[in-house]
Amino acid sequence: MTRALRLGGWRGALLLAGVAALLFFTAFPFAWMIATAFKAPREIFVSPPTFFPSELTLENVSRLFAQTRFATYLANSVLVASGTVALTLAIATPGAYSLTRFRYRGRETISATILFVYMFAPIMIIIPFYVLMRTLGLANTHLGLVLAYTTFCLPFALWLLRTFFQSIPLELEEAALTDGASRAQSVRYVVLPLALPGVVATGIFTFILAWNDYIFARVLISADELKTLPVGIADLYNASVVDWGMIMSAGMLVLLPVLAVFVVVQRYMVAGWGSGGIKG
Amino acid sequence: MVRTALAASLVAFAAAALSPPAQAQKVIRVWHTETQPNSQAAMKNIAARFEAKHPGVKVELEALAWTDLEGKIMASLAAGTPPELSHGQPITCTALQSKGLLLPLDDVVKALGEANIFDQIKRVCRVGNSQYGLVHAAGTSLLIYRKDLAQKHGVKPPKTWADLVAAAKALTLDTNNDGKPDIYGITLPGDNLFINILLGELIASNGGILFDKQNRPQLTAKQMIETLDFIKELVRYAPPGWEGHGYRETFTNLYGQKAAMMFQGYGRGASLIEQNAPKEMASSDYFDVWVKPHGPSGKAPTAQVDEEPWMLFKGAKNPKEAVEFLKFFYQKENYLEYIQTVPIHFFPITKSMRADRDYQSTPMIQRWKGWLEAQEYYLSRDQGRPTLVVNWEDMNTKPYLMEVLGSGILRDMVMDAVLEGKPPKDATARAQKRLEDLLRSKGYLK
Amino acid sequence: MARERSARTGWLLVLPALALLCALTLYPVGYGIWISFFDKHSFFPGERFVAAANYLAVFADEEFWRAVRLGLVYSISTIALQLGLGVGAALLLNEALPGRNVLRAIVVFPYVIPTVVAVIIWKWLLNSQFGLVNYALETARLVDEPISWMGRDWIMVSLILVSVWQFFPFVVIAVLARLQTIPPELYEAATVDGASAFRRFLHVTLPQLASVLFVVVLLRSIWMFTKFDTPWLLIQGGGAETYIRTLPIYTYMRAFAYYEAGRGSAMAVVMFLMLVVAAALYFRLWRREESL
Repeated sequence: MTRALRLGGWRGALLLAGVAALLFFTAFPFAWMIATAFKAPREIFVSPPTFFPSELTLENVSRLFAQTRFATYLANSVLVASGTVALTLAIATPGAYSLTRFRYRGRETISATILFVYMFAPIMIIIPFYVLMRTLGLANTHLGLVLAYTTFCLPFALWLLRTFFQSIPLELEEAALTDGASRAQSVRYVVLPLALPGVVATGIFTFILAWNDYIFARVLISADELKTLPVGIADLYNASVVDWGMIMSAGMLVLLPVLAVFVVVQRYMVAGWGSGGIKG
Repeated sequence: MVRTALAASLVAFAAAALSPPAQAQKVIRVWHTETQPNSQAAMKNIAARFEAKHPGVKVELEALAWTDLEGKIMASLAAGTPPELSHGQPITCTALQSKGLLLPLDDVVKALGEANIFDQIKRVCRVGNSQYGLVHAAGTSLLIYRKDLAQKHGVKPPKTWADLVAAAKALTLDTNNDGKPDIYGITLPGDNLFINILLGELIASNGGILFDKQNRPQLTAKQMIETLDFIKELVRYAPPGWEGHGYRETFTNLYGQKAAMMFQGYGRGASLIEQNAPKEMASSDYFDVWVKPHGPSGKAPTAQVDEEPWMLFKGAKNPKEAVEFLKFFYQKENYLEYIQTVPIHFFPITKSMRADRDYQSTPMIQRWKGWLEAQEYYLSRDQGRPTLVVNWEDMNTKPYLMEVLGSGILRDMVMDAVLEGKPPKDATARAQKRLEDLLRSKGYLK
Repeated sequence: MARERSARTGWLLVLPALALLCALTLYPVGYGIWISFFDKHSFFPGERFVAAANYLAVFADEEFWRAVRLGLVYSISTIALQLGLGVGAALLLNEALPGRNVLRAIVVFPYVIPTVVAVIIWKWLLNSQFGLVNYALETARLVDEPISWMGRDWIMVSLILVSVWQFFPFVVIAVLARLQTIPPELYEAATVDGASAFRRFLHVTLPQLASVLFVVVLLRSIWMFTKFDTPWLLIQGGGAETYIRTLPIYTYMRAFAYYEAGRGSAMAVVMFLMLVVAAALYFRLWRREESL
């Protein structure tokens, strides 16, 4: 719940200035990237730099699609990230529920140990991880990548979901059980609907982690047709001959669909964290 | 809605699970570092033609930046599943060979004709009488300069380092009279790889060495001190923040008209200039090359050669097919297509290709003839060397050059002397000690 | 009627998570710890047992301590700024502004894109010769000559700037969610007592945010201390690497550039232990009800 907005006087001016600054800081780089994506290559290297293209051109975008497998990389990223979300939620939801509602020895130890996974810098384990994947026959497969991402999203997902489950009063579940529902039914009809914002929020955070990863995708995937976006874009950036127009259009195209989804879904992210915070 | 979304992602997951590529045929994995789209396209065409000729063989290409490639090679060696073929740095090639991890490519050399390959090329990764690495294409480092500006300000080709500093000073220009330079005399990259390349070139051009026969570093010798003094003088005419400029940035500075000379240019620059410089300037009338100068204690310049050899890994599944692929790669039709993707940078390894009429008549080669002649100058006089190699035997006797390059010790030394203002003898002493520790810990120094 | 919560069911439910984590992290982490006691070249097979020699070498290495220092400067600065900016932004976005939902979505943008895109954009904006930032600074006469953002003096600032930009939305989301659940009665009571806006923030808002901030700081600290991508990508293609050689970067160099897998792993283990100690201290000092 927010307080009624008072826009009058210096407080209002300060608010608006703050919002403008915040927006500028966050969004200006993106605006500029989009502007560059539509500039002809020669115009990119002028000094003093221009913001708006003197003439809009789609040649960077068309070059991007003609010369690289950008569409494939995009599809791969969506595939792998979605797969990660599905697997992570499938494993973390019961796991988090268990860590919340059940009592057994070692419960707190498990919780603490899980956090430790994050403390061992990923770049150091990347080579033995690759060896492991090779041994399992999972190198250069999307499945291997999904498993890798799930492993590294699990601790965060478990923690986040646990917070949500904790915020759902035990009495509600007990009431359902008293009314004759089975454990599974009480979960399905009472707990899950209430935890839904949390589940969605966890899914979104997991999606972002998987969507943005570079190291694992780079080492585990070799075949060009299996590459994900961060690797594809990094390749453009690492090329000896850098095509800035092309890179900026790649960045723009990566951004737009994700943003569209976000405008719709962002209230789950916020609401999701919120109900988790009621307790304490 | 959420339920559908979850169901959809479960389907996606299932699809991902079932997507591993089928491997019914013989697969040869070929990793290389030419990531620009047109070179990748050429490689794909070559691979497709090869597959058409060899049914049952599939070529799996991957193009990566150098640092990523090394990491992948390491990972694949650790897993016991190296690729068939890969590019590598010359010093990496000899290091790998010294551990018995490579197979010889003598069959490919024979197919090309031993006498047909330039001598300089054959010295890369040759051990005993066998060739363990075969350069894909060579490209020497070039001193590129603005011909129009040099003519306008009466700057002559520099023969010594002092000449070059004077040229850089003369070409630092304040074109709009606001008291600040608008064009800097020279631009050079500050990142680790290029500083190492630079030091290798300069010390050789100054009659010095990096390590003696007992593997003792020679950084405190006069020749290195002179080199550091030279760099310090030179960067006075480089754009501020040069230490943060990468290789690509120096090109941007050149065709964006922020710098008049480029000490570590390469043939790729020709394509970049044609693509990005103002139309009327995009030719060798404006951007030409000089032979590099030599240092006060040296007699002739040395230019680094960007010549990555193909390496064939022992332990790969299909080495025989890989050899066939390599032979195919160097056949005229294929090699020409490959070379023409970056024609000024990809200097062919065979005399036959260099003399070939179709090669010579490639329009871009016609336009930038002078640049190729400069490269041939260094190669034919045996004045081209791979990174950090001063004498050819270094390649085989000093396998630790790889670690020296990666450690950044030499670059830190340059930063100490040039940026931090430490006296060169202190900077060199510190780097000397660090290198000695490094070599001792690896058992190369007693 | 008390229902027993069968411990066995509890274990079964958490088993898939545990199994996956063990299967895929036990070997790599175990290998990492094991190899830290050996001398191993990253390219070549074969290792030689050296007991604690790698660890001794790590602690004796002045570059290591320099990396620790740089890493601390980086982590502490970015976390402080992420917190400050994040909390401030959350407070702003908590007001009933028009178009608030769109604003909130926009603020989240930087966190959503791959690091490589973020770094590419900023590297270009901060380009000393052609970048828009220098152009703006010079036009506004705030500086006399172009700032070399990737050079010796400013690269740490650039790194912090990019990292803060990229990750402050994480803080915004966490804090904003919590803000929305603070009962307005608390504020009303404070106003009635004559508290100013600032005092309301200090005595009502902050205590309510404490538990969220506790977790946010913990997570962000772990992630910023071990952050590799952002500085690494900033260095690629030019960037005075020496001056942002944080511990993850130096560890990577030891393993992949010096080719010393054993020593690199030892450094990673030391980094890990540092975090464990810091986390333990953190919990002790600011113990909250949040169980993890």
